[in-house]
Amino acid sequence: MRGPRAGLGRRLLAALLAAGFACAVAPAAARPARIVSLNMCTDELVLRLADPGAIASVTWLSQDPRNANMAELARRVPANQGLVEQVLAARPDLVVAGSYTTRATVSLLRRVGRPAHEFGVPRNLAEMRAQIREMAALLDEEARGEALIAGIDARLDALEARRPARPLRAIVLRPNGFAVGRGSLVDEILTRAGLVNIAAELGIESYGQIALETVALARAEVLILNDTPDGPPSLAHEVLHHPVIARLSDRLRLVTLPSRLWTCAGPSVVDAIEHLVETLEPAR
Amino acid sequence: MAIVARTIGVDLAGRRVLDAVDATLARGEVLGIVGPNGAGKSTLLRVLAGVLAPDVGELRVDGETRAQLGAKALARRVAFLAQEGQAAWSLSAGALVGLGRLPHRRPFAAESEADRAAIAEAMRRCDVSGFAARPVGTLSGGERRRVLLARALAVEAFYLLADEPLAGLDPGHQLDTLRLLRAIAAAGTGVAVVLHDLSLAARFCDRLLLIHQGRGVADGPPEAVLDETRLAEIFGVVALRGLHAGTPFLLPWQTTARRGSDDDRR
Amino acid sequence: MTPVGHDGLRPAVLLPALTVLTLAMLAVSLAVGYEPLDLGQAVADLAAGRATLPALVLVELRLPRALLGGLVGFSLGMAGAAMQGMMRNPLAEPGVVGISSAAAFGAVAAFYSGLSGAMALALPLGGIAGALVATLVLFALLGRGASTTTLILAGVALNSFAGAATALALNLAPNPYAALEIVFWLMGSLADRSMSHVWLALPLMAAGWLLMASTAPALDALSLGEETAASLGFGLTALRVRLIGGAALSVGGAVAVAGAIGFVGLVVPHLLRPLVGHRPGRLLIASGFGGAILVLAADLGVRLAPIRPELKLGVVTALIGAPFLFALVQRLRREAL
Repeated sequence: MRGPRAGLGRRLLAALLAAGFACAVAPAAARPARIVSLNMCTDELVLRLADPGAIASVTWLSQDPRNANMAELARRVPANQGLVEQVLAARPDLVVAGSYTTRATVSLLRRVGRPAHEFGVPRNLAEMRAQIREMAALLDEEARGEALIAGIDARLDALEARRPARPLRAIVLRPNGFAVGRGSLVDEILTRAGLVNIAAELGIESYGQIALETVALARAEVLILNDTPDGPPSLAHEVLHHPVIARLSDRLRLVTLPSRLWTCAGPSVVDAIEHLVETLEPAR
Repeated sequence: MAIVARTIGVDLAGRRVLDAVDATLARGEVLGIVGPNGAGKSTLLRVLAGVLAPDVGELRVDGETRAQLGAKALARRVAFLAQEGQAAWSLSAGALVGLGRLPHRRPFAAESEADRAAIAEAMRRCDVSGFAARPVGTLSGGERRRVLLARALAVEAFYLLADEPLAGLDPGHQLDTLRLLRAIAAAGTGVAVVLHDLSLAARFCDRLLLIHQGRGVADGPPEAVLDETRLAEIFGVVALRGLHAGTPFLLPWQTTARRGSDDDRR
Repeated sequence: MTPVGHDGLRPAVLLPALTVLTLAMLAVSLAVGYEPLDLGQAVADLAAGRATLPALVLVELRLPRALLGGLVGFSLGMAGAAMQGMMRNPLAEPGVVGISSAAAFGAVAAFYSGLSGAMALALPLGGIAGALVATLVLFALLGRGASTTTLILAGVALNSFAGAATALALNLAPNPYAALEIVFWLMGSLADRSMSHVWLALPLMAAGWLLMASTAPALDALSLGEETAASLGFGLTALRVRLIGGAALSVGGAVAVAGAIGFVGLVVPHLLRPLVGHRPGRLLIASGFGGAILVLAADLGVRLAPIRPELKLGVVTALIGAPFLFALVQRLRREAL
């Protein structure tokens, strides 16, 4: 039973916490100088756009080069494990998180008066650009944001000229035998690289598992393996090394694309498109 | 040609169950092993059968030790019928008796003519031929005991050692079993039985070995072993003795005065 | 003698029948899959040495799946029969008593530590080590002739411990996918297996089968109790060694490549026992074939069921086997009264 006294106690505690936090936090300045990022994808954007000196911490996942694109930069700043105590200890003036960051963490941060700015996962390149702009505005680094976008667009235009004359039929095979369906960001990446995603004709709508039999019999011209090379073992990745795939290499192009390039649907996506185009160039 | 055991000593669970016991079983005789409860009779029988290795002493079957003979050869020479006969699986009686031929059969060979003949003969002698196709679980206790005895007979061994083969049998089948054992002995097999019933032991055994508190107390013909003194001291009973058609019999009639006075002390 | 009296079918009738049935299931397993495949054409291509896509799918995908299903099923069926013969208890089975989950832990330790990446054989050896430890613990706990209660309780203890250890190992594994893969290890699956898995596990499983099969006469003798079996010339220590070794090899090898598929060794011996006249020795090989048939049938079900992602094989066998276990326990309780 919660009496009025118990309720009073909780409110008092919350108030104390908020006061304590407010004291711990510097007054909000125009340019954030102590940025904490709680999500690997926001880590990448922050690392690309902000001064290293302004970053208080990024997640520990970003420091692993197998999983993250800016690992070297990430290692120069402190790491957090996404825990609220660590966020408080860093005394941030800006907290960014992903829409998939632990709900408990995010709601607790909101309750103590320092809400995290949440970023979703872009579903196409247009949303990716919008997100870069949003982050740049938040970091007060609009110039850098525009430069990044301009660079991306320039590379995309260059790649367009190098695409194969006729779109090649492609399947993307992800760990655990998942394929990527129509209308996703990966779909757009494939199109930009001069490929057509045949997952839809195989019955995969947005995200679904595809049997290796189906992969073998689908008469694709390109098989893209979404693999983490040199990663620690898991059954999910074993599927990508099944002998049948090696046997298929006689009749189609096998391309290995590290998952980290498009997991976050961020600027590294261009690297993915470039890798595809370069690998497939002799196919013309 | 005999099973000879010398100075057998056995320790079980820290207790000395048998101490310096000598025993001999010759072919062609019926040896009864008698004694009060807990005396060590079953243990001795198991040692003689080669199923339990003694801690002290030596066992020789037809002059050879167990190690010299090997498990299979020993199994062909000595058949053992355990005290509580249980079959873990619901085999047919015929299949169960057939297990007695395992020492003679090569590991995965089919049954031979000799095997089938031995099985049939063993079942006939134990009067269980009619049960051949019936699952053992559907038989009565006594019928099952006879099937197990048939299994032991099917081994066609030189020695047959039976631990309380009469338990659970009705009087008619008890007498039949003992007559059967005598007939087997007469045909050349050495038979040893652990018995509780002193009347039957005295009547049907050529020799008795009396075990008391782990020691061999007496070994000889029944009249010599089961004298008044021993009956009173070891079993605490007084027996009636008589003669019927030339055959002596004894019948434990009442407990001794010493025992009675224990009860009277109130 | 009537063909199916209480002594069951003659081996000369039963074994060929089971072999034919197993081969038929294998053939059906090759014919059924996720995509329509012209089996005849594929076989013709294979025979002619043409590396067409259907031939490729047949050899690299369907063949290993079918073969592995048969081999794993054979191992589990035979191991179940062997354990029941040894413990003289119809509820003994690698899954129920915790040997399969211990094998899964051993395999998980070998796989996620990267050991099997360095040496492929480490995977089945890990499974075998796990199975061996569990079997030894079991025999130490139970001593001679286990009562049903003791057996089930020992199984609960082993299963809980092995399951927890597996979950811990997966949590500690460096790969983020690992924590999700516990379902494979504890429920088993034949999906996406390759011929390399077949070659890896087959020699070890086959060695296990030979060891277990060699105990057939001893298990028959054991029906009459340990002392009678000894008097019939069967050494108990040697029997235990062969049985423990054989069960560990075959179950450990099977679990290492297909995960812990449960209840096969419980259901199959029980169903086949009347057909072999309740003789534990004859039940061994018959249960092997029976297990192969059951696993192949369950795997067919998994592939034909319109459920995606694919059902785990152990789910199907558990759905069949757990009610079976209940019924068996009820029957044993009634008979004991």
